[in-house]
Amino acid sequence: MRRSTRVKKYIQTSGEVSDFSKLPLHKKFSIPDLLYVGYGLLIVFLVLVSYVLGAFNLLPNDPQQINMDMLMAPPGTGGHLLGTDFMGRDIQSRLILGIQAYFLPGLLAIFISLSIGIVLGVLAGYRGGYAETVITYFTNLVDSFPRLVLILLVIAAFKPDIYYIMMVMGITGVPAVANAIAGKIRVLAQKNFIEAAIALGLRTRVIILKHILWYNCRALLIIQATLGMGEAILLETSLSYLGFGVQEPTPSWGNMVQSGANYFMQGNFWPSTAPALAILFTILGFNLLGDGLNNMLEGKRSR
Amino acid sequence: MKSIPLRILAITLLKELGLASLLLLGVSFVVFVILYAAPGDPFSVLLEGQLPSEQALAGIRAAMGAQQSWYGQYFSWLHNVLGGNFGTSLHSGLPVAGELVKVSLNTLYLTLGSMLVTLCIAVPIALYSSMRGHAVAISWPLTMLGYVFSALPVFWLGYIAIYVSVHGFDFFPLSSSGASDGNGWLYTLVPVLVLGLGSGTISEVIRYLREEMSRVMAEDYIRTERAKGASVWRHAFKEGLLLPVSEIIAAKIPFILGGAVIVEQIFNWPGMGRMAWQAAQDRDFPVIMGIALVAAIFVRVGSLIQRIVYTAVNPQGARD
Repeated sequence: MRRSTRVKKYIQTSGEVSDFSKLPLHKKFSIPDLLYVGYGLLIVFLVLVSYVLGAFNLLPNDPQQINMDMLMAPPGTGGHLLGTDFMGRDIQSRLILGIQAYFLPGLLAIFISLSIGIVLGVLAGYRGGYAETVITYFTNLVDSFPRLVLILLVIAAFKPDIYYIMMVMGITGVPAVANAIAGKIRVLAQKNFIEAAIALGLRTRVIILKHILWYNCRALLIIQATLGMGEAILLETSLSYLGFGVQEPTPSWGNMVQSGANYFMQGNFWPSTAPALAILFTILGFNLLGDGLNNMLEGKRSR
Repeated sequence: MKSIPLRILAITLLKELGLASLLLLGVSFVVFVILYAAPGDPFSVLLEGQLPSEQALAGIRAAMGAQQSWYGQYFSWLHNVLGGNFGTSLHSGLPVAGELVKVSLNTLYLTLGSMLVTLCIAVPIALYSSMRGHAVAISWPLTMLGYVFSALPVFWLGYIAIYVSVHGFDFFPLSSSGASDGNGWLYTLVPVLVLGLGSGTISEVIRYLREEMSRVMAEDYIRTERAKGASVWRHAFKEGLLLPVSEIIAAKIPFILGGAVIVEQIFNWPGMGRMAWQAAQDRDFPVIMGIALVAAIFVRVGSLIQRIVYTAVNPQGARD
């Protein structure tokens, strides 16, 4: 529907008949959205490459090498592209290695949110009735906990293990996914093609998996996954800032900010600002990617 | 303005109160199950430095009145909590309830203040860009700024705030509520500002308000008011601003409380978040249980208020 109106607009303005899919990108989508998504994809690419580099230990310098002759060197000195921290360790290498702290746990959290969220969302939206009541209760229940408080509770009960934390993170992400899917299905259920599919005698499994989830919810799921990664990074850095995540000397962006704090107050901003900027640009990238894709694929114009 | 039908309000209030207490019951059960499933014995904390022999543990359990079966433990705990007895802290030995009231008031001040800051920034931006939807030149940088503030790690923002206030304004905001001199409340503004700017809600509030306001501005009744020459603002206020603001704030309370944990840590603010952090380190179960419950109560009260605002604005909608 959205596409046809866009195409009509294009026909009106350009005076020639053309297919939507053949339009140039900047005619199909708004410029800010393209910039958002472009920046987001760049960040995703950088994170992926850095993750692989860190996994194979292909770092520009040894991240644990202490160099007392070069404490808190400014960026660009002595082969340290981003300078050194308060123990003379290479900040660039530590930032790259810090991605290990959230990457896999973040993916795990997203996987849990999406898989449980899809099942509950389909049950609530497609089945309705009794199942919907129970699922609404469950989502409201999970939403009643501030995420960080629930995680502190789990840390108190078990241990500050990042995989436990990300499991909690995944479960607290379920309501958003479930509500989004259920809402989408409620809109779809009023459309003719679902009715037609039922009338044609297609199996419920095919309708749900192919016609609802694959054709109509994949954009929504990608968006949820992207925003989920942003939240996972925020949470991991917050927790390692609070001292419950990855422990020194293993670098994580959160504990790098925290350990640079004392020097920050003395006016040596860089050791704690570098990881803070890394957090800022990365979360910004995931958020912009999610919102940009949302505007593009769900047909909202950003202003 | 028509008066709001009180009967409908009362029914909504009762319904929402019932729902909230049902959810809080669920919350208490989840909290209990998590701590019940925890490995080890919280009572062994009391025997620090000794080998926790079964006998000693049993003695402590009996002394503190712990039940054997899990449902027995749950119901006796729930019974105590309903009577306002949250137990005593395993670490300090003080009753949790009294501490909880003190710290939750501090946290309430911090979170409500920061919401006000967020709204003071977000509402004008949202209104401006929804009223003049095509003034991209101004609204785009503002939106971008909202995104940047949302992605900014709040702990780093806190350091900047401390550094600026120490070196620029020559005062130290860390003493927070404990300051004894006359303008101690001034110090408390710094954490409130930091949480308001850095809790990560600004861009979402802007986006949501702008979408809702633009939708309302395109409604037929607004066009009619405009044609009549009546005040558009007065008619768009309820649906375009009051409802979305109450909705987004109620939805963001858990998020802001999470941010408060970090801000309280930076500024040494004697609130729930700091207490939760300490309790997580000490494995102080009664304290963390109490905090989780109070936090959930905050969230439920927020959504209760939102439902009441909704019913007051749209009594018809509440009937369905």
